[in-house]
Amino acid sequence: MKDVLVIGSGIAGLACAIRCAENNVRVTLVSPHPSERAQSVMAAGGINAVTAQCEEGDSVACHIDDTLSGGCWIAGRNAVTGLCVHAEGIINYLEHIGTVFSIDEQGKPRRRAFGGQSHKRTFFCGSSTGKQIVSALVMEARRHEARGTIVGKLHLHFYSALIEDGVCYGALLFDELHRKLIPVNASAVVMATGGQNALFGKTTGSVLCDGYAAGKLFMQGALLKNLEFIQFHPTTLETDQKRMLVTEAVRGEGGRLFYEEGGRRVYFMEDKYGPGGNLMTRDVVSREIHAASRDVFLDISFLDRCLIDERLQEARDLCLKYRGIDVATQPIPVAPSVHFFMGGLAVHLNHETSIERLYAVGECASMYHGANRLGGNSLLAALYSGRVAADDVCQRADARRRPSFAQYIAREERRLAAQFETQSPFPVAYMRDMLAETMHESMGIVRTEESLAEGIAGVEYYQSIAEHLRYDASTSAYANYSFAGILATAHASLACALARKESRGAHYRADAPQSHDDFAYGTLVSYDDGAYRTWLDRERAYEN
Amino acid sequence: MRIRILRQKSPTAEPYWESFVYDGPRDTSVAGMLDHLNYHDDIVNEAGLKTQRIMWECSCLQGACGACAMVINGMPALACDTFLRDLAGDEIVLRPLTKFPTIRDLVVDRASIQENLKRSDVYIGSYQPVAKASFSHQYDAAKCLKCGLCLEICPNYTNGQSFFGAVFANDCYLVYARNREKSRDIKKTYAQHFGNTCSKSLTCMDVCPMQISTIASMAKLNR
Repeated sequence: MKDVLVIGSGIAGLACAIRCAENNVRVTLVSPHPSERAQSVMAAGGINAVTAQCEEGDSVACHIDDTLSGGCWIAGRNAVTGLCVHAEGIINYLEHIGTVFSIDEQGKPRRRAFGGQSHKRTFFCGSSTGKQIVSALVMEARRHEARGTIVGKLHLHFYSALIEDGVCYGALLFDELHRKLIPVNASAVVMATGGQNALFGKTTGSVLCDGYAAGKLFMQGALLKNLEFIQFHPTTLETDQKRMLVTEAVRGEGGRLFYEEGGRRVYFMEDKYGPGGNLMTRDVVSREIHAASRDVFLDISFLDRCLIDERLQEARDLCLKYRGIDVATQPIPVAPSVHFFMGGLAVHLNHETSIERLYAVGECASMYHGANRLGGNSLLAALYSGRVAADDVCQRADARRRPSFAQYIAREERRLAAQFETQSPFPVAYMRDMLAETMHESMGIVRTEESLAEGIAGVEYYQSIAEHLRYDASTSAYANYSFAGILATAHASLACALARKESRGAHYRADAPQSHDDFAYGTLVSYDDGAYRTWLDRERAYEN
Repeated sequence: MRIRILRQKSPTAEPYWESFVYDGPRDTSVAGMLDHLNYHDDIVNEAGLKTQRIMWECSCLQGACGACAMVINGMPALACDTFLRDLAGDEIVLRPLTKFPTIRDLVVDRASIQENLKRSDVYIGSYQPVAKASFSHQYDAAKCLKCGLCLEICPNYTNGQSFFGAVFANDCYLVYARNREKSRDIKKTYAQHFGNTCSKSLTCMDVCPMQISTIASMAKLNR
């Protein structure tokens, strides 16, 4: 019987594991933490689908067009077509397994409008769509776990893949409890490890998503793609530890962005774009806030308190709880923050990476979103990608042989043991913070050739230290060994952004503010013994 | 401000108390305070001796994932959702949840929650709603973080061998409300692992970060 190893138990990982189990493929589902801790639970907005009862004038073709144009025409048309065509089936499936959708009078899931889309096609579960989907998938996975078709294992981190001659035969996992490496052989390995938040320190997402797995696989020969495209959310509230997302609904209800100059308020978005200025797209608002280069506030104090209590309760509570701000009387200090990564592991239409039998799904894969992602498409992509990878795994023959990795494993065990024996308290946490600062300065909302080159120099310096870094035995072992992989993802991201000498979607170059047809392709990046090489995917080898 | 923490170096090591002096901002959460203590070249305890960094678990840092559940001044709570300004006195006492095996310091192994739901077959399977079920309560029940706070405070829950606690009751309710074919069986399972033993102290509802009305689940399933 075939067996698949799924690494990561958020929505994409769960969707993949369940689909494999339905097809009687034995699944080992591993993650450091249970699904309830995954970033998936923080996705609030909704999930896009054009269904039989769609809004008048809407069609799957419209959804495809919106996704491709939102992504500035570099996402693969075949990939996006698959995503949109199967969206209705995914909604039906989620309903079938018991997801608590917000429903209409007939008991059918309701839709709402979402930014960047021509029609109302976003299904939702109150203000916790991701969480509700996770809860339903966890129950469904439990059904398969009870039958033994899915074996869930916790407290396990990804360490590396077991690769020989461009084929993946399993993975090395790290057991944090017993501080040892555990090899797992499998017919196929599916990565569902999320985005690379740790590159930027504080983001709107989970601190557990760090980009290590993508970076490590990159160093093992997998190609990465489109890392320059990072979506910033324009209105977030800073706290000690993270950036809290202040929902677009606040501007939807009339919230006004301003800064102060000479004792008066300047409503810069309205001044530049007219009355609807505050509701411009995420990338435009983020760039304008950045260009203001002073403290920017979002004001709803002029709204009726009852309206705030009724419609903006979540934002009201968040501001009060984390910053002591009463939004009915005080403006909210806001700044853009990293929110979503369109780039990640390069994958083909079947979600296989450039390494045979190694797949990537969810945010760690680069597919569907092109240069910018539409709201409501990430949950859809997480579910769809998991299913596509599962279907491919299920239909392919098992590997003819299973090579021995004994020598490789013994070498890695010695490396880790040597790291554990060092007693220096040099905190890796500092290095991570320094990296975040470098990334913000060099690869923030506005980039230039100069800033990106400086960023690369900075990361190269960290990489040179990381080689000789003594490890801090009193933090988790994972926090230590993951740093080199995170640095590789950072370096590759800067290389992609440097190579794209144009502006497109979420990638804005002040020294090349226009888009050019020459660049209407994805960026691929490879690693070869410390050398980072980028090129445009003109042959459309990926996503198609 | 003095921070006392019940620490443990490994799952099998003996727990011990260690105190720290916290001089960081007061307008932060317990999670922010822990990060502040850890974020120095060396971490030193109250006696000025170098010690190991404090291990604790976190993911979302905004009360939506349940990772940072611990006992704060005797009350089970989420560290990221508990603010220093709301805690009385000049000392904060932290300890790991006591109803789960400790892994290290404030990190515990809560696998038993999922294990109990799995071995008692609590899953919906196929959506066939019962008539007149409360949508809002189903929505609330599905927001359960599986954080374990309800089990920590429960006078009936000990080690999860036979009584599975509020986290179990609310998942049972979801199955009951969303698959009428299973509603009879799930009531039996519920009675066996919750209904017959619960003494209705309802303290679970006081500490639930999602404010799930377990009593509403009970009202349906006890019927």
